[in-house]
Amino acid sequence: MRLLKTLTFCIFFCLSFAVLAHPEDELVILEIEQGQLAIQDQQMTAEYEAALKRQRMRRLAAMSWQRKFLLFTKAGIEHIIPKGLDHILFVLGLFFSSLILRSLLWQVTAFTLAHTITLALASLGILQIPGAIVEPIIALSIVWVAIENCVFRQTNKWRPFIVFIFGLLHGLGFATVLNEYGLPQGNLVPSLLAFNVGVELGQLLVLITAAALVWFIRHKSWYRRGVQIPASLIIALIGLFWFVERVL
Amino acid sequence: MKKIFFITAIVLLGACQTRKDQTQMQATANPFYQEWDTPFGVPPFLQIGDEHYMPAFKRGMEENLAEIDAIVNNPEEPTFANTLEELERTGKLLTKVQRVFSNLASSNTNPKIQELQRELSPLLSAHYDKITLNEGLFKRVEAVWQAREMLNLNNEQHKLLEDTRKSFVRSGALLNEEQKNQITEINSKISGLTTAFGQNLLAETNGFELILDEADLDGLSDGIIAAAAETATQKMEKAETEEEKAKYKDKYVFTPHRTSMYPFLTQSNRRDLREQLYKAYVQRGDNDNETDNKEIAAKIAKLRAERAQLMGYETHAHFVLEERMLKTPAEVYDLLMQLWKPALERAKVEVADMQAVVDAEGHDFKIAGWDWWQYSEKVRKAKYDLDEAALKPYLSLDNVLKGVFETTNKLWGLTFTELHDIDVYHPDARVWEVKDKDGSHLSIFIGDYFTRSNKRGGAWMSSFKGQSNLDGKERPIVVNVCNFPAPVGDDPSLLSFENVTTLFHEFGHAMHGTLTNVTYRSMAGTSGPRDFTEFPAQILEHWASEPEILKSFATHYQTGEVIPDELIDKLLKASKFNQGFANTEYLAASLLDMDWHTITADEDVEDADAFEEASLTRIGLIEEIAPRYRSTYFAHIFAGGYAAGYYSYVHSAVLDSDGFEAFKEAGDVFDPELAAKLRTHVYEKGSTEEAMELYKQFRGRQPKIDALLKVRGLDGSTD
Repeated sequence: MRLLKTLTFCIFFCLSFAVLAHPEDELVILEIEQGQLAIQDQQMTAEYEAALKRQRMRRLAAMSWQRKFLLFTKAGIEHIIPKGLDHILFVLGLFFSSLILRSLLWQVTAFTLAHTITLALASLGILQIPGAIVEPIIALSIVWVAIENCVFRQTNKWRPFIVFIFGLLHGLGFATVLNEYGLPQGNLVPSLLAFNVGVELGQLLVLITAAALVWFIRHKSWYRRGVQIPASLIIALIGLFWFVERVL
Repeated sequence: MKKIFFITAIVLLGACQTRKDQTQMQATANPFYQEWDTPFGVPPFLQIGDEHYMPAFKRGMEENLAEIDAIVNNPEEPTFANTLEELERTGKLLTKVQRVFSNLASSNTNPKIQELQRELSPLLSAHYDKITLNEGLFKRVEAVWQAREMLNLNNEQHKLLEDTRKSFVRSGALLNEEQKNQITEINSKISGLTTAFGQNLLAETNGFELILDEADLDGLSDGIIAAAAETATQKMEKAETEEEKAKYKDKYVFTPHRTSMYPFLTQSNRRDLREQLYKAYVQRGDNDNETDNKEIAAKIAKLRAERAQLMGYETHAHFVLEERMLKTPAEVYDLLMQLWKPALERAKVEVADMQAVVDAEGHDFKIAGWDWWQYSEKVRKAKYDLDEAALKPYLSLDNVLKGVFETTNKLWGLTFTELHDIDVYHPDARVWEVKDKDGSHLSIFIGDYFTRSNKRGGAWMSSFKGQSNLDGKERPIVVNVCNFPAPVGDDPSLLSFENVTTLFHEFGHAMHGTLTNVTYRSMAGTSGPRDFTEFPAQILEHWASEPEILKSFATHYQTGEVIPDELIDKLLKASKFNQGFANTEYLAASLLDMDWHTITADEDVEDADAFEEASLTRIGLIEEIAPRYRSTYFAHIFAGGYAAGYYSYVHSAVLDSDGFEAFKEAGDVFDPELAAKLRTHVYEKGSTEEAMELYKQFRGRQPKIDALLKVRGLDGSTD
């Protein structure tokens, strides 16, 4: 505070007589009084990022609610496809668990419900857990569901419950990106809702695509050995890779 | 970010291809060569790359010279239309690129732009020399000038003709060959000397450093200590030898740059160190070494006097002031001396106040120059007790903007609409459309308020597009650039009251650039004389400290509470703090400037130190205060464009205080009749009439200094 005071005091001194209307004339004088500008790339980038966020917030604040709703829905979709690769893999992990629609529905519903809760809590500032903890566990959750797919032929009754727990974590992950993106203070709840709708749409799109791809081979005898297990293994491997990367 | 590693791989191949295509395309399609069909003609900043400047500058200069040639070689008889008006139309491309470049070079620069700046500066000055020294062009202008009585010119046209001719004459167009050669020779000598002056001063300022140990930091705040440690680290990184690096290791460095020196002088309890740094500051360029500026300063002054004599003027000051609002050195001296006595009297009272603090602390020394900052701060705390931190929550940037918009709305009916769809050069630069009372478009206003590492310090107004009514209505694009603290976390940017004044000030310039309504671009907006152009800016500052207006915008950003009266009282009282010092150091420098530039060509100035001392003794400057700039570091006058012009700040201050007094007298700070006069006679007129005439049309009389004395607390009313 004292620094600020002194600085403003100094600035006042300089400004009271030397406010500039014509920068080009003053270059020499400025360089003598202030020294050369030392431009540091890193700092410049950080400042630019912060400014971009401020600009986005200003633009949001000026938008109609319809435009804002569309925008946040779009942002929600984008945070699954293409930006949310780990969430795509998690959803695919669920998909490769079972071909019984009812079981799949239970899992997806549990996941959706869970991440909605934590996304809301974190965005409203009620819940705060650092990304350094959340991100590696998200990676592990992918490994877990994928391995489980390989071990059990059919999902056990605890599966929706476990998925729910993982969903809570994924919600926190969404909250981090959403926070970086910026939520308008004025329309917090509707924007949050729109973002969530977007996330669900993205998720649905992933499931439908996956279902369409395996639709004709799903009843083949080699489906489990030729598709379900290899796909789950690949998913598990990527998850493991991310876990290591995020811990380091 | 980490998540996208394999999508990246897929996209990468495709991307490489398009990236390459884009650069190729950009090379051929330089955005400066195209018509900008952007909304309101805002420069397409996102398409402009650093590589576009140099070619555009070169082509712009070529085109400009070709246009000038076309005017000169026109077989028709010279007329106002085919000479003066055509001249107004020249240089479109050059202006287009120059405005963008020089703006960004100050507000959003990078190493490439800095390099270009150094390359361009000599090219541009050579280019403009080619035009002002073009004899054929002057002949045509002179022919029109001689025939002016028969041409039925209106006032504005007459002033354009007069100003244009004058600029040729002042470059030596009426002289004979021999005299012209002499002038050229003097000019090149002066330009060499002013460059050397600036370089020496830079070297002297960078050359001194106060290297301190942890034990020497008594009194300094954490922030200041951190900054000094950072300076030491930077110096260490730059050092080339190990030995030199060791010098800075774990040390704290202060320099005579104002930003480093003032906080140290204010806070450090080590009187011996304060003395060292202060003395190093005031001795810059006066150390009898190879970077000494004494001889250079004297030579520059002498050469300027010689040039003035060749041109037929008594002294350089006469030459300069011919174009100013105050027309002669006598008028300037008269103004400065009227203010000098009250300022000095007040400064003496301030010294006594500080001495009392010293004595009360049980010290046994007499206040000296290096004590001023520390003890004035102590007096300030005791007497005025204004807590800046308590004030700031009321002054969020958005509130202050609302305040300044509302002020101009009440004065002139202007309205401001933020345009979110226009991208400019940085996401922190905001864009508004300014509309007149009747809803018609006036200008685009860009406000770039937050400090950042690639922006110059200080605050200024500039424009990206000028105003003209010559070939259809062309409305301007103006910009304000400031260095206010960027928001931290979720809090908005909170300003100090000095920031608020600065914002209003620069906004005043912006209004000068916005309301301007003239035919010829070269006479638009802020083009008037230097001792007048600050007036439209400074007068707007007065509205910022009107309690009525403060209360309309200064509401607490968290609670919405309106700023309490008690705080406003303190604020207004504190504005009179230390004014004796501020005015005395400034006036002493202004008088020194005038003394240097009223020497005649025959006068011999051997010793710049003796000259300065004589000047300061004559006015009776007290030893506790040094002139704001001593001769050897007075870059404004010996390296910049302020020779015989440093007084202009206070002259504008006389105008703004006297001008605002008119509203006070009317009993309404938004008095419609006065506001209308201010607009039509000042803000709209650019330089289409003599500045003093414009002022008188607004005020109904010549300016008086009384109001300024009152505002600055120099009228004896401050305790």
